[in-house]
Amino acid sequence: MLRMDGVVVRYPGAAAAALDRVSMEVPSGAFYAVLGPNGSGKSTLMRTLLGLRPPDAGRTLIDERPTGAWARRELAKAVGAVPQAESVAFPLTAGELVSMGRYPHLGPLAGQSGSDRSAVERALEACDVAELADRDVTTLSGGEFQRVRIARALAQEPRALVLDEPTASLDIRHEMAILELLRASADEGITVLLITHGLDMAARFADRMLLLSHGTVAAEGAPTEVVRADTLASVYGWPLAVTHDPETGAPRVVPLRSGEG
Amino acid sequence: MSRGVLGPALAVLLVLSVLAGVRFGSVSIPTADLLDVLTGGGDAVDRDIVLRLRLPRVLLGVLVGGGLAIAGATFQALLRNPLAEPYILGISGGASVGAVLVLALGWMAAGSWTLPLAAFGGALLAVALVFRVATATGHAMDVRVLLLAGVVVAAFFSACVAFILSVSPARTVQSAVLWIMGSLAAASWQSVLLTAAYTLPAATLLVGLARPLNLMSIGEETAYYLGADVEGVKRLSLTVAALITASGVAVAGVIGFVGLVVPHAVRLMVGSDHRVLLPLSFLAGAAFLTLADLAARLALAPAEIPIGVITAFVGVPFFLVLLRRSVSAP
Amino acid sequence: MRRQAPPAVLTRIALAAWCVAAACGQEAPGSGTDGSGTDGSRAPAGSAAGSARASDQARPGDSAGPPDSIRVVDAAGREWVLSRPARRVVSLVPSASASLHAMGAEWVLVGRTDFDTDAWAAGLPSVGGGIEPNLEAIAALEPDVVVRFAGPQDPRTPARLDELGIPHVAVRPDRIVDIYTTNAVLGRVTGHEGEADSLNATIRAGLRKLTGATRGLRPVRVAFVLGGSPPWVAGPGTYIDEVITLVGGVNVFADLDALYAAVSPEELRTRRIDVVIVSRRGAYDTSLTPGARVEEVGDALELPGPGVVEAARRVAELLHGDLPDADASG
Repeated sequence: MLRMDGVVVRYPGAAAAALDRVSMEVPSGAFYAVLGPNGSGKSTLMRTLLGLRPPDAGRTLIDERPTGAWARRELAKAVGAVPQAESVAFPLTAGELVSMGRYPHLGPLAGQSGSDRSAVERALEACDVAELADRDVTTLSGGEFQRVRIARALAQEPRALVLDEPTASLDIRHEMAILELLRASADEGITVLLITHGLDMAARFADRMLLLSHGTVAAEGAPTEVVRADTLASVYGWPLAVTHDPETGAPRVVPLRSGEG
Repeated sequence: MSRGVLGPALAVLLVLSVLAGVRFGSVSIPTADLLDVLTGGGDAVDRDIVLRLRLPRVLLGVLVGGGLAIAGATFQALLRNPLAEPYILGISGGASVGAVLVLALGWMAAGSWTLPLAAFGGALLAVALVFRVATATGHAMDVRVLLLAGVVVAAFFSACVAFILSVSPARTVQSAVLWIMGSLAAASWQSVLLTAAYTLPAATLLVGLARPLNLMSIGEETAYYLGADVEGVKRLSLTVAALITASGVAVAGVIGFVGLVVPHAVRLMVGSDHRVLLPLSFLAGAAFLTLADLAARLALAPAEIPIGVITAFVGVPFFLVLLRRSVSAP
Repeated sequence: MRRQAPPAVLTRIALAAWCVAAACGQEAPGSGTDGSGTDGSRAPAGSAAGSARASDQARPGDSAGPPDSIRVVDAAGREWVLSRPARRVVSLVPSASASLHAMGAEWVLVGRTDFDTDAWAAGLPSVGGGIEPNLEAIAALEPDVVVRFAGPQDPRTPARLDELGIPHVAVRPDRIVDIYTTNAVLGRVTGHEGEADSLNATIRAGLRKLTGATRGLRPVRVAFVLGGSPPWVAGPGTYIDEVITLVGGVNVFADLDALYAAVSPEELRTRRIDVVIVSRRGAYDTSLTPGARVEEVGDALELPGPGVVEAARRVAELLHGDLPDADASG
């Protein structure tokens, strides 16, 4: 559903390309995780895929149509995107912020209909922020704010979700809840593209993974294929061991200290 | 205060302000005579005062006050900065240079339109310069660059004004300072119609952009992902807001605080949804400036205080009270 | 609705601020000149700068220096002692230059300002503006005395001239009485006291004649508008007011609380005005006073000086038409 073919993105004045002939394909309904060290091009990937920063070479396709061919509102109805950071300059309630997810569905002056309101309510419930709806977002904790933003993406009722490090400031309970939610969405047919740092969580929840290193694809495939000690150690520049967790059945990454291993 | 009440309350306040502005002034005209004039009669002096002096002046106050407030709200959303206000793109500096040049060179003899025209031209020059700098990178207009460019351009034009005044006689300096402090006294039906022709369609257009502006005020990347035409909305609303401001400054000088304080005051009462914030800011700004002009005319009658002084004296404490209330309330 | 500060409090605050500003702009009128007798003998040339340094501290009564030295108290209340009459004078005050010319003493002038536009002064080098002049240019001319404006507009120049050891006599050209004072001071400083006295006598006689010629005529109601929007008018106690009154006019704005004020256009429309006098026609919207004649005087009434009799006669003719036997020559 989301595809990149040989994409090259080079920022002006940069020595190396941010993305260097990156190709990837996210099948419809899959839970796809993108990982890599800082500066490997993960955020650029999201922006290029969704058309904010068109590629210098190659092409990006959403639902088999080039990103540039999508009308902005159509794209916003199809894809719910949650960028890494966002700051609100003026007083705004959580409920209002989530309601903005319905904007792609509304005309300039039309008010929200019943179905819009219920989409918003469902999204608030799903992210466990329903009781924060009347709170000013500047009074929310980092984690609460994060969940409100994810709720906004859900309120768009999109066919795909693209999220850039959505669980960065969440505690165990909320991180797991969000990942479970994303997994359930994928199971219902929504394509999920998750950009994250959490190797272990990605390996447990994702169907396929993409590992970026310096703007190129270092590895791609099922979690067991990608999460390998040698690959990861060279990409992350740190000695690692990969163990198999009997509880979950998923691979576990253990960074080694000097003297271990 | 809930949204539902504030709108009608402001509308009523505006109507009352307009009526007060027509009824009261430096010269006392009893209500009976006033009604005579408004129904077609009255003596010549009263007619001149009410129909030629006060009514256009009050209407101009409505247009300029409303325009400045809605432009201020727009700039605050686009620049995502609570300190943004209509003159932030160097508009006041550019207009001042135009006006001071006319005063220094004595071009006013050519006609009373030379001063507003020069001020407007100067304002547009400033905006064009700032836009040019902010889009120099070739891609998107970076609002942070816009902000900085505006500050620098404003400072440059300020220096130009200071230079011109430094080589001008005292009389010119006095006229220039008074013009810059702002006044609605030059209002005429002609200037009212011209200002209305700019301000009313422009304000309507901005209200129509309310949803995209809501999105822009959260962040451009997020706004894009939610379907906004970020570049288009930015250019259109900045241009429109700048034009409203330029037309206001050209006809009334640099009246401060309206564009900064009124949107914040309204926002503190009804929140940041621009579908409500923009029209209510217009009403509140219109009422505020009309009342401020009344105070400017009455406080030291027969002398008039520059209206910028009133807007500062009144606007700042009023806003501070509202701010304290919002901080103390949960 | 929220309770706002009552207008009366704001009025008082604004009034207080206004009064403070006005008071700061006015100083107590300087004490008169030392008019005792003519110092006929010229003491041998000692350094005027040296004796000026010796008298830098303002001292009342008798001071150090030879008995036939020239003592003068200027309009700023400061006493100067010169060992001999000034032969090299830089004048920063155009009306002082005119005074020297009128008493035949212009040959002592070695420097003027950009605002001395009289033809006879064209050959003199200019030191810049009258306020904040170029001190190097002044020093290069090696003046015995600098004539400057009294008052707070330029705090730096007196101090710098003190550092350079150059005496600076302050004059205050505010009202008609200052003309006589200035003439006397300048006469004393340059050793032309006889000429100064006779100039004063001529001026007094000329003004008396005008007053006499216009005494029996119907008083003309006058407003003097300097321009601007709202219109800036001359109030009581100004030079303009004095001249108008002298020649049988009545200043309709004699009730103002300030020397000059921006008044509401309504005031011009309501008050009965026969003649509106303006500096430049383009600066005034004549439709504000449809029943009045509008007359232009240029810069004639800008500063009191020896040309007061011509200026007053001009005003008298503007107000009353040709006068049968008013004659400027003494």
